Amino acid sequence: MMAADTDNTRRGSSRFEDIDWNEVEQRSGSRPLLTTIKLGSFALFGLLALYDAIRNGPFAEWLLEYISGGPQAEYTVLGIEVATGAPTFDFGSFVWDVTGVDWLFVATLMVMFWYAVVPLARNPRMTRYYWRQFRKNRAAVISMVYLVVIFLVGTIVPLFISVPTSNFQAQLLPPVFTTVSTAAGGDCLVQVTDSVCRGTMAHPLGTTRDGRDILKLVIFGMRVSMQIGLIATLMNIVIATAIGASAAYMGGWVDELLMRYVDIQLTFPQFFLFLLLSYLFEPSLFLLIMIFGLFGWGGISRIVRSEALQRTEEEYFKAAQSAGASPLYVVRRHVVPNVSNSIITAATLAIPGLILAEAAFAFLGLSDPTIPSWGTTISAGRNYLGTAWWVATIPGLFLFFTILAFNFIGDALRDALDPRQE
Amino acid sequence: MSARTLLEVKGLKKHYPITQGVLKKEVGRVRAVDGVDFSVSPGETLGIVGESGCGKSTVATSLLRLEEPTAGDVLFEGEDITTYDKAELKRFRRRAQMIFQDPTASFDPRMSIGESVGEPLLIHGISDRNRRREIVKDLLERVGLSADDIDRYPHEFSGGQKQRVALARALVVNPELIVADEPVSALDVSIQADILSLMNDIQAEFDLAMLFISHNLGVIREVCDRVAVMYLGEIVEIAPTEELFSNPQHPYTRALLGSIPQPDPRQRGESITLSGDVPSPSNPPAGCRFHTRCPDVIPPEGYEFEQRHWRSVQDLRQRMRKGPLDLETVRTAHSDAAGDGHVQTAEDGQSVLDDEGLKAGIREEFDIPQRLSDDEAEDVLDRALTAEVSDDHESGRDLLDEEFQTPCEQTAPELRETSAGWEAACLLHDEQRQRVEQPADD
Amino acid sequence: MRWYVIRRVAWAAVVAFVILTITFLFLEITPDQQVAQLQFQAAQSGGDPEAALDAYEQRRGLNQPLWDRYTEYVTNYVQGNWGWSDTRSEPVLDAIVASLPYSIMYSAPSIVISTVVGMGIGLYSALNQYTKTDYAATFVAFFGISIPNFWFGIMLLLIFGETLGWFPIIFQTSIADTQTFSLANLRQLFLPIVVLSTGAIAGNMRYARAEALEYVRAEFVKTARAKGATGWRMLSRHILRPTLVPLSTLLVGDLLGLLLASSLLVEVVFGIPGVGRLSYDAIINQDTDLVLGTVFIPVFISVVGNLLQDIAYTVLDPRISYGDR
Repeated sequence: MMAADTDNTRRGSSRFEDIDWNEVEQRSGSRPLLTTIKLGSFALFGLLALYDAIRNGPFAEWLLEYISGGPQAEYTVLGIEVATGAPTFDFGSFVWDVTGVDWLFVATLMVMFWYAVVPLARNPRMTRYYWRQFRKNRAAVISMVYLVVIFLVGTIVPLFISVPTSNFQAQLLPPVFTTVSTAAGGDCLVQVTDSVCRGTMAHPLGTTRDGRDILKLVIFGMRVSMQIGLIATLMNIVIATAIGASAAYMGGWVDELLMRYVDIQLTFPQFFLFLLLSYLFEPSLFLLIMIFGLFGWGGISRIVRSEALQRTEEEYFKAAQSAGASPLYVVRRHVVPNVSNSIITAATLAIPGLILAEAAFAFLGLSDPTIPSWGTTISAGRNYLGTAWWVATIPGLFLFFTILAFNFIGDALRDALDPRQE
Repeated sequence: MSARTLLEVKGLKKHYPITQGVLKKEVGRVRAVDGVDFSVSPGETLGIVGESGCGKSTVATSLLRLEEPTAGDVLFEGEDITTYDKAELKRFRRRAQMIFQDPTASFDPRMSIGESVGEPLLIHGISDRNRRREIVKDLLERVGLSADDIDRYPHEFSGGQKQRVALARALVVNPELIVADEPVSALDVSIQADILSLMNDIQAEFDLAMLFISHNLGVIREVCDRVAVMYLGEIVEIAPTEELFSNPQHPYTRALLGSIPQPDPRQRGESITLSGDVPSPSNPPAGCRFHTRCPDVIPPEGYEFEQRHWRSVQDLRQRMRKGPLDLETVRTAHSDAAGDGHVQTAEDGQSVLDDEGLKAGIREEFDIPQRLSDDEAEDVLDRALTAEVSDDHESGRDLLDEEFQTPCEQTAPELRETSAGWEAACLLHDEQRQRVEQPADD
Repeated sequence: MRWYVIRRVAWAAVVAFVILTITFLFLEITPDQQVAQLQFQAAQSGGDPEAALDAYEQRRGLNQPLWDRYTEYVTNYVQGNWGWSDTRSEPVLDAIVASLPYSIMYSAPSIVISTVVGMGIGLYSALNQYTKTDYAATFVAFFGISIPNFWFGIMLLLIFGETLGWFPIIFQTSIADTQTFSLANLRQLFLPIVVLSTGAIAGNMRYARAEALEYVRAEFVKTARAKGATGWRMLSRHILRPTLVPLSTLLVGDLLGLLLASSLLVEVVFGIPGVGRLSYDAIINQDTDLVLGTVFIPVFISVVGNLLQDIAYTVLDPRISYGDR
């Protein structure tokens, strides 16, 4: 039978009536190559994360105590030393201690790649269509360029430069090309005259009271904003989709229960929920991301649910069923892709909210003060507003433009992906 | 056509419960399909025709188990599919496919038509993307599209083209039965012929059996070998197509056929208008479900009626069951039914109709003659009307109810073979058969 | 319909109750800062940390069984006993009530301004789509939604306060107390009102525009136009009425949360001793009871707001049936 198949590859087996279904049933399905690569990449990631968790993770110490019966002991699991506190990657000059947030960020990037970038690449016609729609909005295109730059700079540059540190010889320097009188009280690196302090290229955007470089603070702030925005939003999307789709599909009391819970969660204003949790738990960046991610998904789940409900009424849903598809297949292949447009739009509009919330909390002093967030810098600059205006202004400008960019893009995406108007 | 049956449906029922309150207590049922039997042979096309709401689409979804039937057996090649488990059901899905009414809604807008047509192949185990593409391209050509269309999206096609794609998708797994639910109803008339002839050709080439559902008799006549007529969840007549059209046995079929618009005025016969509204499937009439609108409804024993008048009296009787008549309308519309002698002018200038005038008006309203030919019947009617106009609605109603019962509401007819050679469900035929079998009785 | 209102009110009560319960659970889970401090102090001064812990727990009533503490907690809040503020040495509720007037002073005008102006501009935009005014309005809307309000406040203070000196930088409570309706008070409230309004106007405007657009394009408006109706008459009768339905809900629902959050930041930036500032101080000083109280205020406002929104929506829109919700 196999030989005959290869002989007739051109003519015979391209006719539907020539398919030998008995043979098809006996043969088990082979997985396409791309899926294998995708699963492989996630497996590799999982292993590395586990490795780091055992070595450095928060529960590694607990694990050590539990197994060996006392702190400070040494222990190896599968050849990996537990809870050493050593950096994850230590290859000579390249040292990178991967933090929990970093792992989350890498995971987020991987998910974005496999589930957003790859499908777009495989469907060039659709991608081109969406791009043409999107391009019509000039503001959105500029925003996209801006955000890509911010993303790249914020993700890559911090790997190669050091964290901004205090430098008491360069306090309160103004940005390059500007001057300020020395009455500001800081030590000026370059002085033109006795009473005028001039900025230098060494610190193009000036410095803070501690002498920390504002450009570095801005760059690291970019990373923080990106991390919070992307990771927490991805968590929101995943949870919201799971809950919204389940509620829509299962209906009945499951639906009722879930939506009642969402009702309650949404009634509690998101800002104050985060505020209360931040007060109670005193979060690090990691915990803050967890809080945002685990409690911010309510609105999106409602959107997912209402869209999913609409889809199940559509006839192509029934058509897939009549072709023999299992319910899981139908949800995965038909409901989720059609709902994804609304999800993407909603998510893009939710990211600025999270970034703003993080900045606000940093400003209020509620989040980890060691994180170089834009909010902390603005807060620091408030005290000497009159004398050193740049400390509060410049990070704020970046914050403003980033949020503006996301809003423009979200608006344009909504028009491109979700056109209800003729 | 071989003699073995491909599909046999026995006693298929599909009811939808009507619930009330938080605990979803059942307070009623919508009997969308209430016991239908039919069979389809390989290569044959059976049509199901009826007004909208009669349950024909529900028959399609229930017999394919897209919705679970409430009761009944569906035998496909001898096996009862209502007892299939998941794996067997999936295999069955390969052998019976469905085409839907709205070509736009039946395609996922985010999938190219190539992906949509190839989807059943993927579901049933052909994971090689290239092989699927080859098969789909070949099939697209054969339904009248081009192989290059494979990557296009549904919104780029017209309604007729999309229905061709739907046909391709139904064919791709090489089924033995295709259930087509109003496949051309959403298309322009000029395109309908193309699609129908395509379906005919495909059916002939691949020896497919088809269940063709439509409300359009003209289309049914074109395509089907046999036709089943449905009314309110039941089949009332089932016959070979040409015979049905030339010699309909059931009054409902006759009424349906009479309603086909004839372009040639010389060929326009008398069209039969049905009185009343279609009853609700949650509360079907007792006995024969069609009796509330049937022009041939059987008069009761003991009274001699002209059929037309009997129908009108029955209409009145049914109307009075629902409640008191609206005498105001009668007053205004039929004030001169009894002649001028019954109209008086009151002091405020308004004309008032006396009781006789009202009764005459009611008769006119319901198309009942001013005097029935049967004296006893006339007496009953007159007494009932008198009661009605004297505000004693209950006695009038009860009187009519008791005296003018029709056998059609007491017994539900079964689908039985008539003298013409095929099955219909009407007591008239039972009567005729009884008379033939027992000529001495009367 | 009355049935629906009753059910909806009952649900609001359930929501409030659940929120109380969940906060209680959160409080139970998190470690109490004061405990660690107390033990540390006890150890330093040579005393017994365990005994100190016991004494603390007894004083705070923390050694009672869980259920008793829970019921006491709930009954307290329902009855209006919202705890004691250690930092201000007064009951929490009193502290909140004392700070309310200052919050209202700037938020009330903001709400009025943003609603009227926002809806007005939105409607105008919808009617004159694609004109320069429309684009300008959309641009302003984006600006308003995107700008971080605390930073905006700081910038305004920098430009109009420090540099130009038009407005005072420091909020003087005495002026607010004694000369509430004077020009001096207005001067110091002006910038806060601007900041708070900007965000709200933007949101209002976009929403009003989107909703009105749906009706402007609707068939029945075209019919009205064909009949010859023009201008204000058409605007008010055909567009304003149906638009009011979703807009009235917008007023209360989504923007409320935003407004409350913004006001907290505004008060911190401008130094206004309102409820938000109270909350901030409480957080800084670890005054848990006060933090809880000041967080509950916006939460309960939100619950009531949502309730009114739902009822208003159902009452105003004749198309929605009260039957299944």
